Amino acid sequence: MTDTVSARYFDGQTSRLYHVTLGVDGDQAVLAGDIERRCPLAQLHVSERTSHAVRKVSFPDGAYLEIADQAAFNQLLHASGHRDSLVVRLQQSWRATLLALLATVLALFLCYQYLLPLAAKGLAYALPPAVERQLGQGVLELLDDHVFDPSKLATARQDALRTQFARLSIPDGAALEHRILFRKSKIGPNAFALPSGDIVLTDEMVELMPDDQAIMGVLAHELGHLQRRHLTRRIIQTSAVGAGAALLFGDVSTAVAALPPLLLDLKYSRDVEREADDYAIAMLRHNGIALEHLAQVFVALGKLDHGTPYLSSHPASAERVARIRAAQ
Amino acid sequence: MHTDPTPPGIKREAITFSATGSEYFRIWIVNLLLSIVTLGIYSAWAKVRRNRYFYSSTHLAGSSFEYHGNAIAILKGRIAAVVLIAGYNIALQISPFIGLLMFVLMAAILPWLVWKSLQFKLYNTSYRGIRFGFDGSAKQAYKYFLWLPILNAFTGGLMTPFLHQRLKRFQHTESRFGSAHFSFDASVGSFYKTYLLFFAILVAGLVALIVVGFGSVFASFAANANDPSKIGSILLAIGAIYLWMFTVLPLFLTMIQNLIWNHTRLQQHQFASQLTWGRTTFIMLTNLLGIVVTLGLFTPFAHVRWLKYRLEATALLAHGSLDEFVAATGEQVSATGEGMVDLLDFDLSM
Repeated sequence: MTDTVSARYFDGQTSRLYHVTLGVDGDQAVLAGDIERRCPLAQLHVSERTSHAVRKVSFPDGAYLEIADQAAFNQLLHASGHRDSLVVRLQQSWRATLLALLATVLALFLCYQYLLPLAAKGLAYALPPAVERQLGQGVLELLDDHVFDPSKLATARQDALRTQFARLSIPDGAALEHRILFRKSKIGPNAFALPSGDIVLTDEMVELMPDDQAIMGVLAHELGHLQRRHLTRRIIQTSAVGAGAALLFGDVSTAVAALPPLLLDLKYSRDVEREADDYAIAMLRHNGIALEHLAQVFVALGKLDHGTPYLSSHPASAERVARIRAAQ
Repeated sequence: MHTDPTPPGIKREAITFSATGSEYFRIWIVNLLLSIVTLGIYSAWAKVRRNRYFYSSTHLAGSSFEYHGNAIAILKGRIAAVVLIAGYNIALQISPFIGLLMFVLMAAILPWLVWKSLQFKLYNTSYRGIRFGFDGSAKQAYKYFLWLPILNAFTGGLMTPFLHQRLKRFQHTESRFGSAHFSFDASVGSFYKTYLLFFAILVAGLVALIVVGFGSVFASFAANANDPSKIGSILLAIGAIYLWMFTVLPLFLTMIQNLIWNHTRLQQHQFASQLTWGRTTFIMLTNLLGIVVTLGLFTPFAHVRWLKYRLEATALLAHGSLDEFVAATGEQVSATGEGMVDLLDFDLSM
């Protein structure tokens, strides 16, 4: 028989408290005091070690012991050959915890940087075009109602631009089905692609461009967004980041949980603009159009905006011009 | 010692919470790492570890609580939750009509899931070796989690205090400790009074802010429209409104929690809750600040701080001995015991 520890026993049937002592005799646990009981050690379940919570030993019938004297109980456990699980040993060691912290940060970074884009890309390309077309359905109607007026450009001019772009060949296999639309806008020069395959160009954008080759550059950039499935990938990524942040911080505050998705989305959108620029570079080069035309697009746009590159959705224009010129 | 059954009168038994932020930090970070590495699967086991730690650190009258949740059941609930939420979001992206269908489906399933997880949570909590339980029926769950909220939506939210009272009454009267039932006697009127008081303070503060703060902003606007500092002062005014919201929301939380627990009993034993507005606001604001400044590392400390305050503000006014509760009778145990196999825990928090 080993040394004993004092414990509080509850029988699992009533809330009555029994004061007992717990000892170990061979492979049996022995209770003495307000109640006498013996039970094989193998049938008992010992709660995990922590420094601030009481330890519990439960019996197969729902009865259990509460032990406040941690040191004495640990000795008893040690003597009877009980060993903490790996997770408990990790949780109780500061050194292991710090390593776990580093590993967590690394894992989060790797997931975000490599795993998530890869998964989103795979998923986006696997989606049948019909499903993708459904995404963002109705967006154009909404914009037409609130932001856009019908284009003031002559139909002949519109068709000329469409034909010119249709004649360009695609750098990577087949182009997804797309449609070029012109609109007069209340928000100034703009061009964007919708997952429905609509590429919208505002009259103001057409007027801002120095020549038609530059307009081809803009269209190539937007086609790049479509070809690379950017919008679908973005929806997948932001949902995943949002879900992750909600899991990490949602317990404490929804305001805090909304922050990381927002910041990471801004970064994602800058990465995506670069990818579309690269597509436009490849397409112009493929058709023997000088890249300087594309550079002029951003020179013209750069005269309009003064955003900072860190918190804006697009890379700074000067940076993009430099990248395009470097590619020449 | 609380074994003596004789002393008549009331004895105040305060809840104490012995968990510490630094110990929970270690549990949290290991849980987090294993959850990420296993792509979320471990999160069910993480929840069990966290709850075991918190429950075992919660003491009342010298004994602590215990959590018995089974990780596999939690995992099943989580998979169901993820499928539902993801399905709903995807459906909404594909088409508004399919999104609406999914919404109706969710509305039909959610009360059942909430009901199951109420049962799960209580059945898997014990104190002095006796399990808690929840007797409410699925029919009632649909009434309180679906029909009344729909009715409330049609009345423009005017029924919210009534709905809140009915919900809490349902939860608290159908909960039991062993075979002893809880009871709840806060009136609908007291809920309306609390909501009205909260709105009065909220609106009074907003009006004061607008008159004092925005008055000066607009004055400077009118005087010098090109002043670059005007954006600064507008941001300041918006910041002041946010700060007021963060100050006044804890007020609602304290009033409601005090109201609910000061009207809850376990047989003849009355609960008492004494949260204060100032302390609650202070803890919530500093927690938020701490989490943002440390990029999330303060989260476990914030969690423990808030739990400790909330739990320790609650006490049980014991009317006689706490030794005389008995586990639910054999009949009740087998009746619920069978149902326990298909229990789910519908909750995504780590």
